Amino acid sequence: MEGKQRSNVKFVFLKCGVVSQAKGSAYFEVDNTKLIVSVYDPREIPKKTDYSSKGELFCIFKYAPFSCPNRRAHQPDADEKQHSAIVKRALESAVCRHEFPNFQVDVYILVLENDGSALSGAITAAGIALAQAGIPMYDTITAATLAIQGTTKLLDPTLEEETLCTVATHKSDTEIDYDSHGIIVLAMLSTHEQISEFYQLGNLDLETLNESVNILMNAAKDIVPLVEKCLVDYVTKTLKSNAES
Amino acid sequence: MEVENNTNLLMRDVNCKLGIFTRPDGSVFISQGETAVVVGIYGPIEVKLHKMLINKASVETHYCPKSGTPGISDKLCESILHNVCEAALVSTLYPRSSILIIIQEMQNRGGILSCAVNGCCLALLNAGTDMKFLFASSSCGLDDEGNFHLDPDNLFLEKATASFIFVFDSVGKGLIASHTSGSFNLAQYQNALELCKKASEGIFDFYKCMIKKDLQDKI
Amino acid sequence: MAKQFKSLHPTKFYRDYLNHDIRPDGRLISKFRPVIINIGSIATADGSALVRIGKTTVICGIKAELCPPKSERPNEGFLICNVDLPPLCSSKFRPGPPSDLAQITTRFLADLILNSACIDLKDLCIVKEKLVWCLYADIICLDHDGCIIDACLLVLLTALKTVRLPGVEYDAAIDKKTINEDEQKSLSIYNTPVSTTYAMFEDKVITDPTAEEEEISSGLLTIVVKNKELCSIHKPGGSPLSEEKLYDCISETINHADLLITLINTAVAEQND
Repeated sequence: MEGKQRSNVKFVFLKCGVVSQAKGSAYFEVDNTKLIVSVYDPREIPKKTDYSSKGELFCIFKYAPFSCPNRRAHQPDADEKQHSAIVKRALESAVCRHEFPNFQVDVYILVLENDGSALSGAITAAGIALAQAGIPMYDTITAATLAIQGTTKLLDPTLEEETLCTVATHKSDTEIDYDSHGIIVLAMLSTHEQISEFYQLGNLDLETLNESVNILMNAAKDIVPLVEKCLVDYVTKTLKSNAES
Repeated sequence: MEVENNTNLLMRDVNCKLGIFTRPDGSVFISQGETAVVVGIYGPIEVKLHKMLINKASVETHYCPKSGTPGISDKLCESILHNVCEAALVSTLYPRSSILIIIQEMQNRGGILSCAVNGCCLALLNAGTDMKFLFASSSCGLDDEGNFHLDPDNLFLEKATASFIFVFDSVGKGLIASHTSGSFNLAQYQNALELCKKASEGIFDFYKCMIKKDLQDKI
Repeated sequence: MAKQFKSLHPTKFYRDYLNHDIRPDGRLISKFRPVIINIGSIATADGSALVRIGKTTVICGIKAELCPPKSERPNEGFLICNVDLPPLCSSKFRPGPPSDLAQITTRFLADLILNSACIDLKDLCIVKEKLVWCLYADIICLDHDGCIIDACLLVLLTALKTVRLPGVEYDAAIDKKTINEDEQKSLSIYNTPVSTTYAMFEDKVITDPTAEEEEISSGLLTIVVKNKELCSIHKPGGSPLSEEKLYDCISETINHADLLITLINTAVAEQND
């Protein structure tokens, strides 16, 4: 895999309105990664007495017990808690929080099968679900993952590729410095190319980082038409069925 | 319907004492054989804001096992008790309030659910809460030779192929609740239902006796 | 108008429909919703299935692990099923510890598996007293639109039928396990219990209720059958029901059970081809 570059977006499957009970919901699939997001109506922030001028987002990112090679516990572990926080940070800048003061919007993410790039998928899917739920937003939000190992850069890595890219290797047999390696997740509001979340794992030199950000921004832009089509399809379908009834 | 080959058609001894506590609005100690529960009723009382219903009282049921915190089998028991009591109570008379039913298991030698249901009915009578109908529960077990055993104890239940618990109402003698374990055929279910229905008549008579006795004592 | 009327007087709205022997979703009173079964959708699980009853969606993934047996039952493995009703599936559930309904459903399913004897735990034994399989069956509801017990039971049985366990050789002397991935063994399922749920609404009994119908109903009834035999008749309280109506429901369930079992078998057979 030395020197391999994969910078085109893989085949992604998106669908919204999959959970009938939710206000907004989305299903996302890339490779074998499958995840589902649902968003509910704003509700009062529980156990809060003082006034908050901005609404809150409440995100839960959960892996199903059977979604990973090893069985996961029901209680949220450190990984899941961190991912929840990342998704929340990413979405907060896309949502007009001043529109619903003192209320919170619940975003629940469930990963049914994890084959890498689950976090970026979750952000993209959550963006669609929020839009479908009619939560006021500044822009569509999309995200992408890049795994880096030396000169190899892989967009939307699988679980195996993710694992390989988090291992530190020496530049060569004689040097003690470590080669660039790691995973970057980048979420972006595409109209003005605003990056709303940047999460990096591992260590990278500045040059690699610059290149990576470019690749990721292009990838995030490439998904936008898919997201828009998904939402437009949903709207036309709803309008049609309303006209019939 | 003929019920054949019955080895035991008698209930275990039922005993009860009404109004054993002074703090709750209604309370009862009831024992069936060696199984015993204590039930206390508070209500209608003030309700927490998030549980408030504007058109009727909210019925809260708490089932406390003999020791420890309630497990998932206790939750199943609790949900049946809750649904039975909710169906019987005229909760629309007490809007924006709560009726609290606390069931404390004292000793379980089989048939705890039946005993608890009967205890709830007596406690509600003791509290004087309005009800649409009374309810009575009886249970029966089926052994591997196809014999029915009314009100079985835990020794029988361990080797029983099936067991049935029913709750009936006093007005239309309709079935309020049914819970079974083990597998059985339709005829066996019908037999069990008939058998328990007859037994429940006895329990309704028992309620009358107890209330009469309680009132006489008070006078 | 209908929408406003429905939210103001849900019971009256529903009663008006039922008086014309039809339900708001266009079904007759005793009409079941379509059932869709999909299997093997989760590659990371050793057996998986997805079931949709109308809009109700549940997914089950079974993961097998090796573990030592309990000393009082040295030749039996474990089947641990768990029903999760996450806040994702309905606004009725809040994040945090499992809701009462989830706990009750878990307990009810575990009882059913035991009562129906559809799986023999002795089949999960590899070496007596040393090593057995432990199957974790995690059922997650993705969309809660009523009849959750029916969907969970259906998905659990289907998933169990798709389980493939690798061959294991165990050397007790040096405590060494050798996994042979080529040898894929399926589980023996001795019978297939299936269930249907009914809701009582005033003097009518409604088949296969949706979440809305469950909400306004005065009680639920779940009947579980296997091979024309009854496995459980579960009516957890609610308004009283006459015996004739109960027996009508039982015969309806027995009729519908054949269809469900055919559906499961067709889905599983497609995988084997």
